[in-house]
Amino acid sequence: MIRHLAGKVGGALVSLLFVVALGFLLFRVIPGDPVVAMTRGRPVTGDQLAELRVRLGVDKPLGEQFVDYLSGMVRGDLGTSHVYSRPVLELIGERLWPTVLLVGTSTVLAVVLGLWLGIRGAWRRGSRSDRISTGLALAQWAMPTFWLGMLLSLATGDLFPSGGMRYPDTPPDFLSQALDVAHHMVLPCLTLIAVVYAQYLLVMRSSLLEEMHADYLTTARAKGLRDDLVRRRHAVPNALLPTVTLVFLHLGLVVSGAITVETVFSWPGLGLLTYEALTGPDLPLLQGTFVVLAGAVITMNVFADLLYRVLDPRVRAS
Amino acid sequence: MSLLELRDLSVHYRGARGEVAAVRSVSLGLEAGQTLGLAGESGCGKSTVAMSVLRLLPRNARVEGQVLLDGEDVQGMSWGRLRTVRWAAASVVFQGAMHALNPVHRVGDQIAEPMRLHGVSGSVSDLLGQVELPARAARAYPHELSGGQKQRVMIAMALACAPRLVIADEPTTALDVVVQAQVLDVLKRLVSERGIGLVMISHDLSVLASTCDRLAVMRYGQIVEEGPAREVIASPTHPHTQALAAAFPTVGDPASRQVTAEDAADGPVLLRAEGVRVDYGATKAVAGVDLEVRAGEIVALVGQSGSGKTTLARTLLGLQRPTAGRVLFEGTELPRSSSGLRAYRRQVQLVLQDPTSALNPRHSVYEAVAEGLRIHRIEGDEPTLVAEALSHAELRPPELFFPSLPHELSGGQRQRVVIAGALALGPRLLIADEPVASLDASVRGEILALLLRLRRELGLAALVITHDLGLAWTIADRVAVMYQGELVEQGTVEQVLLSPRHDYTRTLLAAVPQDQRSTRPNWTSSP
Repeated sequence: MIRHLAGKVGGALVSLLFVVALGFLLFRVIPGDPVVAMTRGRPVTGDQLAELRVRLGVDKPLGEQFVDYLSGMVRGDLGTSHVYSRPVLELIGERLWPTVLLVGTSTVLAVVLGLWLGIRGAWRRGSRSDRISTGLALAQWAMPTFWLGMLLSLATGDLFPSGGMRYPDTPPDFLSQALDVAHHMVLPCLTLIAVVYAQYLLVMRSSLLEEMHADYLTTARAKGLRDDLVRRRHAVPNALLPTVTLVFLHLGLVVSGAITVETVFSWPGLGLLTYEALTGPDLPLLQGTFVVLAGAVITMNVFADLLYRVLDPRVRAS
Repeated sequence: MSLLELRDLSVHYRGARGEVAAVRSVSLGLEAGQTLGLAGESGCGKSTVAMSVLRLLPRNARVEGQVLLDGEDVQGMSWGRLRTVRWAAASVVFQGAMHALNPVHRVGDQIAEPMRLHGVSGSVSDLLGQVELPARAARAYPHELSGGQKQRVMIAMALACAPRLVIADEPTTALDVVVQAQVLDVLKRLVSERGIGLVMISHDLSVLASTCDRLAVMRYGQIVEEGPAREVIASPTHPHTQALAAAFPTVGDPASRQVTAEDAADGPVLLRAEGVRVDYGATKAVAGVDLEVRAGEIVALVGQSGSGKTTLARTLLGLQRPTAGRVLFEGTELPRSSSGLRAYRRQVQLVLQDPTSALNPRHSVYEAVAEGLRIHRIEGDEPTLVAEALSHAELRPPELFFPSLPHELSGGQRQRVVIAGALALGPRLLIADEPVASLDASVRGEILALLLRLRRELGLAALVITHDLGLAWTIADRVAVMYQGELVEQGTVEQVLLSPRHDYTRTLLAAVPQDQRSTRPNWTSSP
């Protein structure tokens, strides 16, 4: 078990290293000179540009820049944002919690909704309610997120705020602050749920359909179990297994998954930060968000793997 | 009043192409303490009969007639009443214990589940004891148990609520002879000790002959013959019963041996294994085997599952490198390079147990046979070669089969396609791993006859791997018995099967279900 764990964590660290290297190189090849972008619209001389290059460290050869970047990262320093002139780590730390709150909440709700509808659909396969719910979910999945978001805020009118995370004039006590944030979260949350729950529904539905022909369900029925017990005790736990991997992969994406939604609703999270960094391009900030997002996916993958071993005795044995 | 009575039972399945009759007016009866055998091939409706007793048929089934359990009609029961009757009055030992147990629950919990449900007191370890399993087996998950152990768990589970009727659907299929004999013994003992009524369903008449009082043979949903088991087996009147009986030859019965004296092979040695050893870590899968196959000879390699048969076969094919020893084909050692091995495999072809999984479901028959020709870049007109191979495998006219997909063919036809795929390359030797184990009784004979004919016409040698001694008796020239990685005995069929010298061979022979036709001598007193 310990050996398995060590192997998994080791593998994850190797992937993370790859991601760091890839992220570094990737953002050097995208078009756009950061120094030019920073000084756009201002009169600057060639000397000033050169000096700025030296200060940002982008004048050194690529290899040297990479070594500097790596050694900084080991010390917990992801560099300094060109645009904000603040440490990248600090910026990310500030923006992480709004994202986790928004995307975490909507993922949990989408998982619950998707699994429930998936189970219902599979159990009454081909019925009217199954066809309607599957069709609806697919249609929503296919919609562009930003468009759905704008549509929702148009449709609801003034009922919910369509941007930001809180009003500036909200009283500072915890309850009013929490209510205010919740109020702001309704639209982005609904948009996110509508777009992603279809995946959980489809995976749960097909994996339950596969289990429904399993012989051990006939055994359970022959034992005299009620239909809902057959489903709850025997069919669903087995069908949930493939879904676990999917859910955890998505939990990894929680951090990044909301770039469009956060941009549309100007939610001050990591997604919006990434979007802002991209328009720069603010290289240190981009690299920083890239590493954090990829790190989250990799970590959640390891968790999914370990959880799977706990849930499925067959995996434990091999 | 009978324990179970079927009166004029008919079952139809509604499908896309209208209704299909699965069972047509079947009437049967069973008293407590008795065993009723239900024999037939796949698709004859025997499992549908079993499922109708507890009303476990799928929703698209339409049932006519009566199923009386202790005089009460199952069809007329309310759902509540039905749930009380299920497992408490009658239980089922399902076919394929591998899938009939929930893979993520401990077997102890699965045995205890119906007891809690029906409020029956009892202990799981007692039940496990009755099927000769240790109490600690309760903590195991299904995948941690062997096939025989899982089947015993199923039986223990069926007994959990002390039902008066047990229905066993192919309880020993997929088990090897020794384990099969043990499971059958457990069932027989339970019937005599507890006075339960047992319905045994099987495609293997010899299994039923050794356990049942009465026997009913089904075909196309109807009962074609019924009577006391002894009589039905000893003097079958219906041609289908005769065919079923002939498909499971009795070792020692000259009538079922299809090899004649003129078949005797004295060709040169084709394939020779010298001191072959294969270790997987600390486990010795094959522990020093010497084996020869001559040109035009059929050798049967027999042994229980886990005896190392399949590992040996893989080594002979060059799929597994031996830890020690060597394999020679026509006097030269197997090449190690992948191109050399490819050329070697043109000479030696493999036929697998289950044709359904050996064929790609999306490839037509033509594709399946032509693939080997393409891999080995064989010269000549491809359609002609494919047609030739198919007609050698008795799929005639071959052109008719070219576009067929595997699911459109019967099990026997599929196995012929697999064999044709091997024959297309013009091999000298076939290695066949349980070539008929997954086929219906009536088809088995045909495939075996095909192997014999190929030997006579093309001089094709074969190494047939099997746990079925009857098969070895039918077609083999020589038999090699494998036990725990070693060949404990080898010789001509008559030597090994009629006067076995090694204890293990005797155990294997004794485990073969005995029926009344046997002319077999008594080995326990042999010198």
